[in-house]
Amino acid sequence: MVKKLTAVTLAMLMTGVLSACGAGEANTNDTSAGANAGANADKNAAAGNAAGNVAGSEAKPENADASKKIVIKYWYAFGDKIEEAKKHMVQTFNESQDKIEVVAEFQGNYEDLHAKVQAAFAAGNAPAVTDLEISSTGVFAHSGMLEELTTYAERDKDQLKLDDFNPGLMGNAYVDGKLYGLPFMRSTPILYKNVTMLKDAGLDPAGPKTWDELEQYSRVLKKKGKTGMTVPADIWYYEGLVAQSGGKMLSDDGKSAAFNSPEGVAPVEFWKKLSTEGLIKIPMGDEAGPTADKDWANQLSAFKFGSTAGVTGSLEIAKGNGFEMDTAFMPSNVSYGVPTGGCQLVITSKSSDEEKQAAWEFLKWMTSKENTIYQHKHVGYLPTRMSAVESDELKAHFAEFPQFKVAVDQLEYARPRPMENAYPEVAKIIREAIEKAILDPKTTPQKALDQAAEKANKLLAKS
Amino acid sequence: MSVWEKLRPYSMVAPAIIVFSLFFIYPIFYMMYLSLFDWNFVSPDKAYVGIQNFKDLLTDSDFRQVLSNTTIYTLLTVTLTTSLALLLALWLNRKGVFHGFVQGAIFSPHIISLVSISLLWSWLMDPEYGLLNWVIGLAGFGKLAWLSHPSTSLVSLVIVAVWKGLGYNALVFIAGLQSIPPDIYEAASLDRSKPWTTFRKLILPLLSPSIFFLVIINMIGSFQVFETIAIMTQGGPVNSTNTLVYYIYENGFRFFKIGYASAAGVILLFIIGVLTIIYFKLLSKRVHYR
Repeated sequence: MVKKLTAVTLAMLMTGVLSACGAGEANTNDTSAGANAGANADKNAAAGNAAGNVAGSEAKPENADASKKIVIKYWYAFGDKIEEAKKHMVQTFNESQDKIEVVAEFQGNYEDLHAKVQAAFAAGNAPAVTDLEISSTGVFAHSGMLEELTTYAERDKDQLKLDDFNPGLMGNAYVDGKLYGLPFMRSTPILYKNVTMLKDAGLDPAGPKTWDELEQYSRVLKKKGKTGMTVPADIWYYEGLVAQSGGKMLSDDGKSAAFNSPEGVAPVEFWKKLSTEGLIKIPMGDEAGPTADKDWANQLSAFKFGSTAGVTGSLEIAKGNGFEMDTAFMPSNVSYGVPTGGCQLVITSKSSDEEKQAAWEFLKWMTSKENTIYQHKHVGYLPTRMSAVESDELKAHFAEFPQFKVAVDQLEYARPRPMENAYPEVAKIIREAIEKAILDPKTTPQKALDQAAEKANKLLAKS
Repeated sequence: MSVWEKLRPYSMVAPAIIVFSLFFIYPIFYMMYLSLFDWNFVSPDKAYVGIQNFKDLLTDSDFRQVLSNTTIYTLLTVTLTTSLALLLALWLNRKGVFHGFVQGAIFSPHIISLVSISLLWSWLMDPEYGLLNWVIGLAGFGKLAWLSHPSTSLVSLVIVAVWKGLGYNALVFIAGLQSIPPDIYEAASLDRSKPWTTFRKLILPLLSPSIFFLVIINMIGSFQVFETIAIMTQGGPVNSTNTLVYYIYENGFRFFKIGYASAAGVILLFIIGVLTIIYFKLLSKRVHYR
């Protein structure tokens, strides 16, 4: 009896504990992960404060007024060259004046960054300024996390020169007609070519300019034992191919899917046909993107799509592996067309007025003509201002490295990314549909995209 | 009896109880509460939607696939880890430098961070440039897709989990084997028991507390699998490796649907609770505690 009782008690206890473990895990995803991200945020906040305090106390002896120095946090995404450029710009900003101290903190990729900003905002210690991937502007603005910048821009219009920004990049800066962000490190996908491989195969390195040419090129390359192109079924590239076919991702009001139209199906049919014939390779899974880069770098495939942010890196790779590379527009179907990408700078809404003013000064600095030229040359992101493109400095740079200019010219065909609240999830649904259509011989692209559209419509109708 | 004497035991357990309630009990109830709302984590107003989140979940074909992925993953991982570890333990349960070395070697994955392990295996399993496909190629077989095809991705993750868990499981089994008094073996050999009979009638029952413990621990661990998926597959390709916890994370922190994610969390809580009770009901009868 006693034994049985013990067993029952034990069972009950264990259930409690185990389900608590389970919940803890579940919570790794709502609260606990919230706590996790929150904890990170706290840590960062603490680090930020500490850094701020140190900076503050260091500044004190230098300047009596500096005790009033405003310290704001700036969270950014990505390491390597991108981080170098961002840190350098923050440092020069801090050195350029003595009222504002910006503490820059690395937060991983865009998704990590977004999750952390969100958790920190809920906990009440969001950074004053953060990078924000452009298609998420809608979600963040609608949740009231972003400070509207319209009045700031109006006040400082002579200094800011809002219309100097490339119009092709402003589409994602506005939500419901209100300004929420300034274009910062912006990109478009472009076509990277292995010119040496094309010449060896007797192909004109000026092409391929159209989908048909891409197919022909790939046939020739296949006979030489190469793959035409390695391309992951990435939503960003798909958005480009839909634009090239003359279609749209979503309806104009953003309430329903438009990608299951003939223009949206055409890219998937094109990819499916070419990959079935072995002309192009579509890697799947988490490593798909890096695989495409590796195939191109190792000269297994002649073409890849990639962000303009990779121009500097790709030039180095081509040089190291002994081939000549060039960049070009993404090939056209009905017309040229590309989505834009990258991030803009935003101010969070819960900061104090003082912090917001400081943040605004910082935003203006980071998006200035001089700084956009600097980051373009250092990383390869687009020069965001027309005056920068027309500057002597960049003209000389383009003459030396024409590979950088392609993305700027291609902006003529750029279109904004969808910004609906549900778009991140819709994007995932589309990607899965494309992968399914390509992998499964029995699933036609039309059918896969129709199913995806049905799911997407449910989500879009809600938001 | 003074007041202090009455209060003393409570004050002694208070720290543990407070930490437990704050970090385990409160979040569980808050999660249940949130599962009834449509909320994005930051907006000031939560919309009460009743059980709509649960209805949506149960009608979502992706969620059903997530449940079946999780179940298959758990079944494969638990059976493979436990049975392979038992075999290893039976082999390693003897003295000697070689066996000691093997024991140490198979235990080492247990102390490596899962993140490093995930990165390592991502590289090993790379279809084009990975070591595994290179070895398979040398042996004259075609390349495997590993993580990059829905038909092999989940099994690939199981392999990683088994590799990681084997050493720890074997160690627990070895400890269990060594706690069996040698006189029992002597008695068995005097009775001319065959090795298989000894194993089935003696070792297995005497080892049952270890088996029970490991099955439960492995099961819960597998249900909670997250790191490998977040790093190696992100649930893809075509949702083939999406499991409950990653699904919850994805909905909560990528799509900002906290209510929906909480509802999935409640379902996870429920499943694990039920499984645990079943285990205790069924297995406690077969476990021999000495």
